[in-house]
Amino acid sequence: MAKENNSMQRHMGMRAANAISNTLIYILLIVISVIWLIPFVFILLQSLRVESTWQVGYVVPRQWGFDNYVRLLSTNFPKWYLNTLIMALVTAVLQTVIVLCMSYTLSRFRFKMRKPLMQFMLILGMFPGMLTMIILYRVLKDLGMTQANAVPGLILVYVASSGMGYYVSKGFFDTIPKSLDEAARVDGATRAQVLYKIILPLAKPIVIYTILTAFMGPWGDFVFARYISMGTAAGMNVAVGLNNWLNLDQIGNNYTMFCAGGVVVAIPVTILFMCLQRYYVEGVTGGAVKG
Amino acid sequence: MASVKLTNVKKIYDNKVVAVHDFNLDIKDKEFVVFVGPSGCGKSTTLRMVAGLEEISEGTVEIDGEVVNDLQPKDRNIAMVFQNYALYPHMTVYDNIAFSLRLQKMPEDVIYNKVTNAAEILGITEYLMRKPRALSGGQRQRVAIGRAMVRDSKVFLMDEPLSNLDAKLRNQMRAEIILLRQKLDTTFIYVTHDQTEAMTLGDRIVIMKDGYIMQVGTPTEVFEKPENLFVAEFIGAPKMNILRTNLMKAGDKYYVMPFGAKIEVDGEKGKLLREKKIEGGEVLLGVRPEHIVLAKEAGEHAIPVTLEVNEMMGSELHLHVFTEDGTRLIVRVPTIDLDNEQRENLVNGAKLFITFEGKVMHFFDPETEKNLIY
Repeated sequence: MAKENNSMQRHMGMRAANAISNTLIYILLIVISVIWLIPFVFILLQSLRVESTWQVGYVVPRQWGFDNYVRLLSTNFPKWYLNTLIMALVTAVLQTVIVLCMSYTLSRFRFKMRKPLMQFMLILGMFPGMLTMIILYRVLKDLGMTQANAVPGLILVYVASSGMGYYVSKGFFDTIPKSLDEAARVDGATRAQVLYKIILPLAKPIVIYTILTAFMGPWGDFVFARYISMGTAAGMNVAVGLNNWLNLDQIGNNYTMFCAGGVVVAIPVTILFMCLQRYYVEGVTGGAVKG
Repeated sequence: MASVKLTNVKKIYDNKVVAVHDFNLDIKDKEFVVFVGPSGCGKSTTLRMVAGLEEISEGTVEIDGEVVNDLQPKDRNIAMVFQNYALYPHMTVYDNIAFSLRLQKMPEDVIYNKVTNAAEILGITEYLMRKPRALSGGQRQRVAIGRAMVRDSKVFLMDEPLSNLDAKLRNQMRAEIILLRQKLDTTFIYVTHDQTEAMTLGDRIVIMKDGYIMQVGTPTEVFEKPENLFVAEFIGAPKMNILRTNLMKAGDKYYVMPFGAKIEVDGEKGKLLREKKIEGGEVLLGVRPEHIVLAKEAGEHAIPVTLEVNEMMGSELHLHVFTEDGTRLIVRVPTIDLDNEQRENLVNGAKLFITFEGKVMHFFDPETEKNLIY
């Protein structure tokens, strides 16, 4: 009896300890979330401030309105936004195709230079991309793809090295049993059909991941975009364009508009993540082969 | 429905490992051929070369008279069942089976008929809308077979299709494959490491070892007339007992002298020895466990042995015994032949006498391990 009581007490004690540690963890997580959200809320509130366009010492606007958003339309912002959107979409499509083909090839085919190629790309990837900036500018300038024509030039820059981003998806493809490929090929599928009828549906989370990263790269790029557009407003993306509004001579007039631009920039990315995140969750390979 | 012909087929991997040496085989239309051998003997590799999943290093593979060396698997008109089923996990059973038909751009109503027909034969109709992960191992294997069935292909390849199933299910599926074969009436190549499957399924068996063909023959041939020691030991369970002994020729008669006993090689085997003009000398004598009987007492024909392990298998006992020089033998004794007293005497350490007749003996050359009379 006493023994039973003892174990009962111990059981209760463990439950209490669990509850306390859970509470502490949740408090910590909430604090972190709040800290993380403050800048976003801050920007949103600033963008809705109507009474002044410069930086002020308070957070909540005294007069609310969409004036800043309307004002955006009369600036270069729509042009920048369009530039960015085109670059991001085209890059997302091309880079996804290249990365997935590359990964499939490296995962499924065995050819002579496969290992050396992978090692070469690994080493190449250790150098920061910025190192290529000067020579890239020369090349693009000769091709007439700088300043006002920066959009195609930048797409070229973003897409060119995308084959090197194969690691994650190749790793995922490696986990899909090869016998599925073989079964499909015996069933009459070409290599391409194997890829898009068997491998890609099974690798959905990785395909989504690849699309997202391919989209996000150009969407948030600053360094290359600034360098290749060289101060010509027509060739800028949003990051470069908006950044100009923070120059000392412009910040007084454009600060709240800058915030509004920031919010508008965040919208498509937020939507994209919300739509695609559910694919992150589920693995789909169950039941393929014995196990 | 087609013949398959392999001529001097070789497989050499990049690292210079030779997986298959000079494989020659003619498979007739509608024949069921089983490749059997221990793991790493090249049987799967050979099958995969027929399927087109593995490059053929040398030699030619012909299907229906056409050399297919350079054809992609999809152009060879073959169907294949894999050991691990290889079902497409994101598709329902119906879509899995219909996959190849859709690639052929068949009309959906034809596909529907074919799939439901195959499902009915295999007894998986009620699972057609399920995903593979919701099926048991046996059901998955049926789906895999169904997927191969609907293709009406020239050759049906099976790569260890039953190895992943438990023993009971394996026996059941084996019987179903025999039935399936009668229904499909096409050419089968079946790979297994299990000699029971090979014996029960094959019209002809190809026994392989280290990339070489050891023997090709009907189940009866390979069982009764093994060409070499490897085949003799590989086919049959428990495996054949091998005794190193002397074959003595005395006039017209042959005797073997294992462990002090003297047994005449009479009947057919004696005749064959005479015909082959075998001189006698040291041989490897092979006797199957079921051909050894317990002798009542010591005598000229009896070999004294000590019982080590007595395995009760139900209908029979497997007696593991060893002779005076430590050679281990297995004796299969039907339980029904023994009365209670005899059974009680079969305890570990018991001294027994065993014997066998001339007609059950196999003789192998100790050097080449070749059968002396076949």
